[in-house]
Amino acid sequence: MNAPKQFARLPHERKEICMSLISVRNLQKHYRLEKTDTPALIDVSLDIQAGERVCLMGPSGSGKSTLLNLIGCIDAPSAGSVIVDGEDTGSLGDGRLSDFRNRRMGFIFQSFNLIPVLSVFENIEYPLLLQKVPARERRLRVEELLRKVGLEQYGRRSPENLSGGQRQRVSVARALVARPRLVIADEPTASLDHATGNSIMQLMAEMNESEGATLVFSTHDPSVSRYAKRIIRMMDGRIIEDGSAA
Amino acid sequence: MKTIAMAWRNLLRQKRRTLITLSALIIGLCGLVVFQGYITSLMRSARDRTIYAGIGHLQVARSPGYFEDGEFNPYAYALKDVDRLLEGLARQSSVLAAFPSTGFTSIAGKGEKSVTLLVKAYPAERMFFAPPQGPVLTPVDKFTLGTLIAGSSLSPGDRDRIVLGETAARILDARPGSVVTLMAVLPDGGLNGRDFTVDAIYKDPGRDKIFAFTDYDTAVGFTGIEGAAVVHVLARDITEVNSIASGLPGDLAVRTWHDLATFWVQANSMFIGFLAVIRAIILLVTLFIMANTMNRIVCERMKEWGTLRAIGMKKRNVLFLVVMEGCLQGIVGAALGILLGFGVSELLNLHGGVPVPFAQGEQRVIVKILLSGQAVWLNLIPAGLFAGAAAFLPGLRAVRLTPSECLRQI
Repeated sequence: MNAPKQFARLPHERKEICMSLISVRNLQKHYRLEKTDTPALIDVSLDIQAGERVCLMGPSGSGKSTLLNLIGCIDAPSAGSVIVDGEDTGSLGDGRLSDFRNRRMGFIFQSFNLIPVLSVFENIEYPLLLQKVPARERRLRVEELLRKVGLEQYGRRSPENLSGGQRQRVSVARALVARPRLVIADEPTASLDHATGNSIMQLMAEMNESEGATLVFSTHDPSVSRYAKRIIRMMDGRIIEDGSAA
Repeated sequence: MKTIAMAWRNLLRQKRRTLITLSALIIGLCGLVVFQGYITSLMRSARDRTIYAGIGHLQVARSPGYFEDGEFNPYAYALKDVDRLLEGLARQSSVLAAFPSTGFTSIAGKGEKSVTLLVKAYPAERMFFAPPQGPVLTPVDKFTLGTLIAGSSLSPGDRDRIVLGETAARILDARPGSVVTLMAVLPDGGLNGRDFTVDAIYKDPGRDKIFAFTDYDTAVGFTGIEGAAVVHVLARDITEVNSIASGLPGDLAVRTWHDLATFWVQANSMFIGFLAVIRAIILLVTLFIMANTMNRIVCERMKEWGTLRAIGMKKRNVLFLVVMEGCLQGIVGAALGILLGFGVSELLNLHGGVPVPFAQGEQRVIVKILLSGQAVWLNLIPAGLFAGAAAFLPGLRAVRLTPSECLRQI
């Protein structure tokens, strides 16, 4: 079997000498609700090293998802900067940001967010299709991931015919298919029962080890946070604690 | 390619809603296809009737002035060397028949009664009068000049015979076999008179009051004019008219049927415009219905747009996906409408066609609806474009929000 292709860096990339994979500085995010500015993140700064497994913990409304969205470049900050893999994401236009997300990041969502008109195989394959990876390489990579998440028999199925746990496994495979530097998972177990949630977290932890991607996830469930090596606690849009998992 | 496949699958996601959305387009285009087929068939039939009623596919005269006043003053436009012209035309494989015609204005008298007639003269073998009973296949190498109501048509070799119109015959109290005297002014200003035997009486609304027909040789002998006023050409195929015309000597004045059948051209333009207006109304109605549906679809799938953009799809590709979904809806709706229209047309044709409400004469004209490829592209392409346009604004809505805003939508 041929080794999967190592994807080239973006042509415009300006690699800076930077120890952290993610560097967040003085990040602020305000939402405007009925003529009132509501702060969701207040002056957040943090660094995450490559290969780390980081959990953002906190109650609802603490700013976990907002911080993940900003790190994942799917939202724009009100102030501050987010540097991911040496790239100041605030300086990228929408098209380049899309490429950046496609090549450097993988996303796992609470409600799986699989595309219902695509089969399991096609859902996992889609990020590679956007990169215009040749069909043979795409097939090999998708088959490899289907094996890793234990769904090799389910490639042709529609996501609608899978259980919640199976769908989240597909989601994990999709997040990892493009060999991203960073995987962002927002409450990945919130829609799953306890046992299934644990198996998904186990899978994600294994993938973090085997694929080498940095994993940043959020949860308010302490039993899920034990899969992290570092826990960042948030409250009212601020980081209140940042330390190694016990 | 995957985007188009995704758009197609999205279309089939809610088949019932898609079908309801497209029903206006399907029903509208079905009606339009049937109507268009009927009008096209009707106009084609009218065109052929006009051509074979005395125009021909092509007319060749000595000078352009003939086409302005030559019918009433044929002496002024006599063609030189008609035989050579006819021989040249006969050599062209696309020419089915070429023959001369002339005419003269005369006063016809019988006893104490008289009428003014415009006598048209063609070779007897090129004149055809339909029998009174029932529709017949009209010959393609002759002019069909009306419907016989008494007597029989002129035969080659007959001399000094005339076919009178119904009105003139009634005024003159003439029947087949009657003798009428025709008086005509000759080119040199003198008068000539001759007795003509009425061979037949014909009917053709609008024409039988003034026109009478005699054979070409009789007219030449009676008027003493050297050369025909005009040469008519009947082509094997109407599409070859221009190539025949281009092969004629440059010093002659040539007019195609399209130049001469001005009423037909005006009527045809009017119907084409009429169809375009109906098509525009159908497409506009579809545009509004489709825009409303696409708006709902975009709102319902906000999470999908957010997901696609999060995993790297660009804004323009999301917009393309939405617009493509609209285009495909339009194309599918139009295709179904056209197919249904073809089916309804075939059914009507199987039942004998559709009668023409304003058919002239006593014959009941039935028109079979014409199914053309033109009906396909003329409806399919605009429907696809309109539906794509209807999806454009909803598509912009899908890309206006950030991916995280899309993902937050329920």
